[in-house]
Amino acid sequence: MKLLVIEDEPVLLNNIHGYLAEDGNICETASNLATAREKIARHEYDCIILDIGLPDGSGLEVLRYIKEIGKDEGVLIISGRNSLDDKLSGLGLGADDYIVKPFHLAELKARIMAVYRRRAFNGTKLLQYENISINLDFTEVRAKGHLLVLTRKEYDMLLYFIANKGKVVSRNAIAEHLWRDEIDLAASFDFIYTHVKNLRKKLFDHTGKDYFKSVYGIGYKFS
Amino acid sequence: MKLATQYTRASMLVTVIVLLIAGGIYYFAISYIADQQFDHDLTEELGEMTGFIQQHQRFPKPFEFDSYQAKFEPVKQYMPPRFVDTLMKGSEESYRAIIAIVKLKGLNYRMTIIASKESTENLLQLIFIITLILTAVLLIALFLTNRMLLKDLWQPFYTLLKRLNDFSFTGQGGKDQSHIRIDEFRELQTAIHTMEGKAAAEYEALKTFTENASHEMATPIAVITTKLDNLIQDETLTEVHLAQLQDIYNAGNKLSRLGQSLLLLVKIDHQLIKDTAPIQLDQLINEKIGQLAELIAEKSIIMATHLRPVNIVVSPYLIDILLNNLLGNAIRHNQYSGHIKINLNERQLVISNTGTNQALDSTKIFERFQKDPASEGAGLGLTIARNICHRYNWELAYAFESPFHKFTVNL
Repeated sequence: MKLLVIEDEPVLLNNIHGYLAEDGNICETASNLATAREKIARHEYDCIILDIGLPDGSGLEVLRYIKEIGKDEGVLIISGRNSLDDKLSGLGLGADDYIVKPFHLAELKARIMAVYRRRAFNGTKLLQYENISINLDFTEVRAKGHLLVLTRKEYDMLLYFIANKGKVVSRNAIAEHLWRDEIDLAASFDFIYTHVKNLRKKLFDHTGKDYFKSVYGIGYKFS
Repeated sequence: MKLATQYTRASMLVTVIVLLIAGGIYYFAISYIADQQFDHDLTEELGEMTGFIQQHQRFPKPFEFDSYQAKFEPVKQYMPPRFVDTLMKGSEESYRAIIAIVKLKGLNYRMTIIASKESTENLLQLIFIITLILTAVLLIALFLTNRMLLKDLWQPFYTLLKRLNDFSFTGQGGKDQSHIRIDEFRELQTAIHTMEGKAAAEYEALKTFTENASHEMATPIAVITTKLDNLIQDETLTEVHLAQLQDIYNAGNKLSRLGQSLLLLVKIDHQLIKDTAPIQLDQLINEKIGQLAELIAEKSIIMATHLRPVNIVVSPYLIDILLNNLLGNAIRHNQYSGHIKINLNERQLVISNTGTNQALDSTKIFERFQKDPASEGAGLGLTIARNICHRYNWELAYAFESPFHKFTVNL
């Protein structure tokens, strides 16, 4: 994937870049409107990660610019303001998704993958990872051709892990993804443990491979 | 007691007392003057009578002194003349009498001349009645004028009072009275205006501050969180490191939730969340229960729901948060294999749950940052729930009906 991150806070930009750049992705950065315009004009991106609050103007300008020059890039908006107006005007201007600060990088990656998938696949939406194939339209998961019976949460979790394959994903990030802030962290950690255990077993039963690695006290790695 | 009532009562009491005293003075003064007159007449009469007796050497016949009656009784010793009030046998009327000794043919006779006081009595009675009527009329007049005048005079006061009662930081102030004649009330109105303005400005500043603070918090927390997300990729980290990182994660999580909650409160207060959609509340509740099924099952909580179909038009976002907070609390603060009852009808939504066997302080639970020490939230959940209810003019009430903690939303 070729990504462009437009973010004015240098440390945050650096963090996002660090997380996304691996795994064979090309990740470019811009910290203001002018640079962003220039890069968009010159290159093609699979997804643009766009902060609304930029020093030289609103990130919404970027969306207008993309339309203006007749491009059709996937755009994921990052906003410090959890405001509906921003969200609606952003989505109205052609953004694909909207994420509010603060967020986990795993969540960002999962959203980017979702945007990417929506745009990249035409026709059947099939996601393949090693022996696992997922039909996104029918939410069907097959491991080595065997149909797996997964709960809703297990299915969400699997997609989340595949989007963040090879990365250690914290339990906090998983909890926020699956339940937002509906339940207490301590309770969610127990559920995550159970879900991972079940998912791990179901995949192992059909593929003979253990995809999950527990990282002591912090989270899991899917590979 | 109302000021007008108090005032009317006092003024009427004073009036009655003054009139009673005046009536008394009248009575005594008139009695005194009348007695003086009687005594004068009787003395004159005595002189005439004595003269007659001395001249004719006999007692006069009753018809010879028509308006007076005289009585003669022989007595031994001499007494100086004196006046007495007396009653006649078989008559209700009172009389004034003079008793004096007259000599006739060397003998002492006690002579009593009496005169009827009827006319004076009548006069006194008349005065009494007039005083009484006057008192009554005065009282009624006073009562009515006070009532009308005070009602009219105090009307601006009540308008201002209502305005103060209706005052809310979020909404507009109450209605203004166009013209107030009373200086004091006009000044009061001006003072209230100033106060309202100041309070609203202060509140506005506080809200803006909260909003900005929450926004400004977002980026640094994002930096912390994303730094951690990168940091945990490092495979050389030991278990000790990871345990510490987990604590930082959790703290970051709390901060993030706190910021979001504060921002949400500001937005509800500002009425910034304006989107509305028709919602089928009973369905939404069932969906919510489905979403929280894991938690309910984990604690083996027994759910009992009686949901009538209810349609409302509200913000889907806010109603979701409201149900989340109320249901989340009902589960979170429940005990193992406890109960949750949800009743919904057109008028109210009642969520009852078992938990501690002690009533919560209903005056405090809806306040900000009031929370159970065991709870890991910031203590804003119920405040948010209450403010969402206020936003739609619903009432959120808490009651403890052992063993159930009962939260009622009056729709």
